[in-house]
Amino acid sequence: MMPTTPSGQPLALIDHYLREQAQLTAVDRFARTHDTVEAPAHTGRYSSLLPATPPGEGQQYAFEVDLDACSGCKACVVACHALNGLEKKESWRDVGLLHGGSQSLPVLQHVTTACHHCLDPACLHACPVDAYEKDAVTGLVTHLDDQCFGCQYCTLACPYDAPKYSRAKGIVRKCDMCRDRLADGEAPGCVQACPSGAIAIRVVDTAQVIEESETNLFVPGAPEPRLTLPTTTYRSKRALPRNMLPADFHAVHPERAHGSLILMLTLTQLSAGAFLIDRILELFVPVSLVANIRPMHGASALVFGLVALAGSALHLGRPRYAFRAVIGLRHSWLSREIVAFGLFAGLAMVYAAWTWMALRPGPAAGSAPGWLGWTVALAGIVGVGCSVMVYAYTKRDFWNGWSTGFKFLMSTLVLGLATVWLSLMLATMAGNSEASRATVARYGTLLCQSLMLAAVVKLVVEAALFRHLAARHTTSLKRSALLMSGALAPVTMARFAAGLLGGLVMPGFLLLTRLPSSQAHGQDLVFIVLVAMLFTACLAGELLERYLFFTAVASPTMPGSL
Amino acid sequence: MLFQRDGRLTRDLVRSPGGFGLGQLPTRLKPDATTDMVCGYCSTGCGLTIHLKRGQAVGLTPAADHPVNRGMACPKGWEALTVLEADDRATEPLLRDADGTLRAVTWDTAMRALVEQFQRIQSSHSPDAVAFLSTGQMPTEEMALLGALTKFGMGLVNGDGNTRQCMATTVVAYKQAFGFDAPPYTYRDFEESDVIVLVGSNLCIAHPIMWERIVRNPHKPAIVAIDPRATETAMQATQHVPLQPKSDQALFYGLARLLIERNWVDREYIEAHTRNFDDVASAVEPFTLDRVTDTTGVPTAAIEQLATTIHNGQRVSFWWTMGVNQSYQGVRTAQSIINVALMTGNIGRPGTGANSITGQCNAMGSRLFSNTTNLLGGHEFGNPDHRTKVAKELQIDPGAIPTRDGAAYHEIIEGILRGSIKGLWVIATNTAHSWINQQHVLDVLDRLDFLVVQDMYHSTETAQIADLVLPAAAWGEKEGTFINSERRIGLVKKVGRAPGQALSDFAIFKLVAEYWGCAEMFREWESPEAVFQILKRLSRGQPCDFTGITDYGMLDKHAGIQWPYPDGSPAIKDTPERRLFEDGRFYHQDGRARFVYEDPRPMPEPPTRRYPLVLLTGRGTASQWHTQTRTRHSGVLRKLYPEDIYVEINPTDAADLGIRPNSQVTVESRRGRLVARAFVTRSVQPGHLFVPMHYAETNQLTDAVFDPYSKQPSYKACAVKLSAVPG
Repeated sequence: MMPTTPSGQPLALIDHYLREQAQLTAVDRFARTHDTVEAPAHTGRYSSLLPATPPGEGQQYAFEVDLDACSGCKACVVACHALNGLEKKESWRDVGLLHGGSQSLPVLQHVTTACHHCLDPACLHACPVDAYEKDAVTGLVTHLDDQCFGCQYCTLACPYDAPKYSRAKGIVRKCDMCRDRLADGEAPGCVQACPSGAIAIRVVDTAQVIEESETNLFVPGAPEPRLTLPTTTYRSKRALPRNMLPADFHAVHPERAHGSLILMLTLTQLSAGAFLIDRILELFVPVSLVANIRPMHGASALVFGLVALAGSALHLGRPRYAFRAVIGLRHSWLSREIVAFGLFAGLAMVYAAWTWMALRPGPAAGSAPGWLGWTVALAGIVGVGCSVMVYAYTKRDFWNGWSTGFKFLMSTLVLGLATVWLSLMLATMAGNSEASRATVARYGTLLCQSLMLAAVVKLVVEAALFRHLAARHTTSLKRSALLMSGALAPVTMARFAAGLLGGLVMPGFLLLTRLPSSQAHGQDLVFIVLVAMLFTACLAGELLERYLFFTAVASPTMPGSL
Repeated sequence: MLFQRDGRLTRDLVRSPGGFGLGQLPTRLKPDATTDMVCGYCSTGCGLTIHLKRGQAVGLTPAADHPVNRGMACPKGWEALTVLEADDRATEPLLRDADGTLRAVTWDTAMRALVEQFQRIQSSHSPDAVAFLSTGQMPTEEMALLGALTKFGMGLVNGDGNTRQCMATTVVAYKQAFGFDAPPYTYRDFEESDVIVLVGSNLCIAHPIMWERIVRNPHKPAIVAIDPRATETAMQATQHVPLQPKSDQALFYGLARLLIERNWVDREYIEAHTRNFDDVASAVEPFTLDRVTDTTGVPTAAIEQLATTIHNGQRVSFWWTMGVNQSYQGVRTAQSIINVALMTGNIGRPGTGANSITGQCNAMGSRLFSNTTNLLGGHEFGNPDHRTKVAKELQIDPGAIPTRDGAAYHEIIEGILRGSIKGLWVIATNTAHSWINQQHVLDVLDRLDFLVVQDMYHSTETAQIADLVLPAAAWGEKEGTFINSERRIGLVKKVGRAPGQALSDFAIFKLVAEYWGCAEMFREWESPEAVFQILKRLSRGQPCDFTGITDYGMLDKHAGIQWPYPDGSPAIKDTPERRLFEDGRFYHQDGRARFVYEDPRPMPEPPTRRYPLVLLTGRGTASQWHTQTRTRHSGVLRKLYPEDIYVEINPTDAADLGIRPNSQVTVESRRGRLVARAFVTRSVQPGHLFVPMHYAETNQLTDAVFDPYSKQPSYKACAVKLSAVPG
């Protein structure tokens, strides 16, 4: 209690109140003595929301949501956050909103969602480091936080947005259905916290989950259940109107750009393309000519390749564990991609070193063997193929296998060809102007025409996406087209401008002004400028294309909120 | 190295038994003690178990066995502690210097500035030229100290609270009908009713834990939601009555007529316990079904169905919130509901009542003890006996007590505009955001000679324009009591340290008393608990008598105690939940409740050709609180609502105006305009728009009209026009 403070001493009074303010009084005055109450006081209330027996053979635990009971307060989201001690914005549960119906009978339906503990979890198959496990008895899909190296591939693979990435921790975390609470007979946080008792844990028959997934009746607006066989049951006594749409249905937001992945994909394709074109060129061009530009070409391809791999490591939340990627080789395309490009980089280094050694006068040096060159190129192409599958696996329309395969392959060709020009230019600058001029004179036309063809075909196919703008339905490809012509329009324009400049205008200039008879002596400045612009524009165009690849994709997810 | 099953990151999430009856908790947050206290957001008054480590809060869970919330909380309650930690907490007094910049000063300088400026204004104008605007968010003890300090010590007459924005209507409605501002119910009534009628109340979103009590009702009640919007609550209801805005009064007069016509009224109850029934019965005579259908837009059959439901119900309860209160004729609308409850005998029995659900955590404390609209303890300034009684209890000169009510909120704003009020002290409210017709308010506040803002954040819209900012401790950083909607007095405790130099509002008021030179008058007001004892004495003999509550310890032991609880009341355990009027006696001298009627008036701003749509405002989500000064500080709460303002538009109107879903639109009233994202949905009717009140822009549109009796602003409906933003 405060002592009586006489008037006339305001400063002393201020000090008194500041001191008093700093004292915590709740424990002394009111702390409860709970010595006798150790057991949870909540259990009785939610016993009907928990299964009576653990799952048997062919069964597992699953969430069951009573849509009729959910009134949309979202306490489940916050309780998950609080009862699991998560980061500031982190919660493993989300609540979306469906709306529709008629004017005489409008319908709002909130939809609470967390991990669906799928029978066939995409996160688990996608994970390159085996950080996911599916418990043999409970069926719960759990995440090994210390094993995760933060590649975030699971966040792309899961159609339901269940794994949540923590930038601060550099790893993904996710709902484990509070399995140790369940094991103790307590309810998971969300189940405990729902004022309406709308979330329950049930034991489900896996056979039935598979059967139900055939009908495609999960919850309106959600991705098809046959992809991963989610086990959550949404039940309702009311038949929801057929026009129920997620509240965010018409919202088109660019997705995260993943800068390091953009760099990694574009440059690995450049590097692989450069080695591939180098091989192909050898089929047409006399060895004596190729040998002169090869060291420059090999070096630049390698440098870009290494930058790409360094960039991709930076993408990891915990790059020091990058080596763990090898263990998912049997099932994870990401794992395969990492291994393939690792191999590619190793071989390319050997190959590049060899070509430089070959330049040194002396008896020991010989030209790098053709089989090594082909192996490098092949490893690169396998890597690019794995890249394609990494994205195709996520089952997003914008990333489907054919379209992604086409884009990645054509980038490989466009950038490979552009890099040949870069090498020719570098060789000129390095003093090998004779050889490079000879190469340009004899094969420049072919190189220009191939580049123009590849670039134009690629741009036309990319532009074909806009045909989806005319679609009556808001398909996921229409969303991508809307994004590219709306929020991302400046990037789209820049992409096509750069693509046309590097793939059509500059090679066109080269054809008209520098070919077929390049007469300039010494360092041809105009040639250098033209090629520098060609290469830069091609690279910028492909980087922008890849930026759009990530940002304009429409990700499948559970119904979102406003 | 290659495969790691355990480690730092895994341990971060490990849960273990938390003890104290809490179940498993994250191991790193395991408490070494717990204590229960009442939540500081809304008037539900949920009990929260605070997890303590070395005396300091590290987490909370809803109190498992609390009579209010029974182990549940809404998102705001779960995050109540998070919002205390914020970068923009006010940590030191700030005084605007000659350059117009707010600079940190000592408490001594701040107090001197406040006293000098206010005394200068009072001497050069009049004592009334300084006013205060207070809050429903402070403990009762602090409200009482503020009210006594300003009105008895500093010679102020004019002071009001933000409770004017939410509860004033009900106060007047109850006073006139029952003889005292007394919500008659206990939350158990939600569980006992067989018919629940919700008027202008989106309970699922505004009071999720009261909705929880309905969920626990074992009688499969009929639930009627009377609301122009198809809200979450309307979805859960068994009957939704989608009436036109502000036609609720006509609807209830029509219902009354129908009930009387079919002789579905309780003559016996009316005879024994009420007055004026015959007057009201003849007054509602013209409200035929056709007329009511015409006014409300509700089909005749739906009105008849509602009347039948009420008639068939054995225990019918009526509940209203802001849809009724925030109206230019809110008092009479609330009374039209009270009329129906009285004439059907649905009051004073389990599961019945004409029940107003309050807004803020301590609106009820403010109604009794803020010394604004009534003299401490539900007394009247105009009543000499009351003044003598209060003066005696406080041992002050009765002459120090003003003989008239102070100005209402909007009258204070008008006073500033007219130049009769020059100094304003704003405590724990955000006038520059929340007051109706906001453009106007900013202009008005700018005219003040001296604006003092006392708040836990220095970032509120009002604090930004203040001349002096006083840093206040928040809920959880000080002691006191709140009174919830069901009249339960609950305890707030000190479980965290206020940042920097922030002081409890109580300490700030005591300092002002000291610097003002009237500290002697508050010698007995030593601590919040000492004030609680004073307030107890003041309540003696009043309907809100709680002289039977010994002290804070007793409140703590019983998880709060409902008033009345006079000396000599039976033990709490025998009467854990109590409702009023069980004996049929009301607080009027003759013990009878009053029927009140007045002709409904048309909307002050009906839609016109230029402004063809009606704008409705209200709560957006359960995760947002009022002007969001607190809720925006929780990352997880922010995830649960749209960051930017949006407007709900019916598909018909959207199609007519060429508005695409999710596009930007302009909403414009005669007073202002805002740009918002279009949410095209059938939850609003054609011709209506809905904008949540939490966004700063909303009140640029609202129309400053007021209920003539309660002086509560009519936020809910005004005329606007809508257009697509080009491009």
